[in-house]
Amino acid sequence: MPVVDEIRARLAQFQPDRLEVIDESARHAGHAGARPEGESHFRVRIAAAAFAPMSRLARHRAIHAALGPELLARIHALALEIED
Amino acid sequence: MTAIDQIKQDIASNDVVLYMKGTKEMPQCGFSSRVAGVLNFMGVSYKDVNVLADADIRQGIKDFSDWPTIPQLYVKGEFVGGCDIVTEMTLSGELDQLFDAKGVAYNKDAADQIRAANA
Repeated sequence: MPVVDEIRARLAQFQPDRLEVIDESARHAGHAGARPEGESHFRVRIAAAAFAPMSRLARHRAIHAALGPELLARIHALALEIED
Repeated sequence: MTAIDQIKQDIASNDVVLYMKGTKEMPQCGFSSRVAGVLNFMGVSYKDVNVLADADIRQGIKDFSDWPTIPQLYVKGEFVGGCDIVTEMTLSGELDQLFDAKGVAYNKDAADQIRAANA
């Protein structure tokens, strides 16, 4: 399964009103941490009511936890834009 | 000294610490570069810790903060966040408020210039 789809699947638990997962690896080709096969740099834009009571740190931590350490270890960079 | 002890000592003895890839003068990663660039432009005095120079610190700071990525910003011993959070806080003015509350000196005009350029 492409990493983009894995990320989408794991973030479904937040029941997002809006979810965009963008593979930005091509923009980082050749840079340290980029992998020849791509799938290294991602941007997530997510809006979910579940984030409303959370601080910035808590929102990011909730997403890190949902993705899990195994998936995070395979991703070199993850930019998060989180809204409630 | 263990890596965790080193981290505790660094964040206790420096008001602002940035764990980053590379140095404040020569960042080695775009995300580290962005945070260092903000602090440099705002004239904040901070200690830069190059995690690429020490594998134990690189893993240790991730464990200590329970945060999987670099850069990581600490102010007065408190974890603030990584690149996304620092960027958002810079643009919203929350970073200014944090520095005000914690008594960290910075150039307010420079912070306003960053916001004006990104409005």
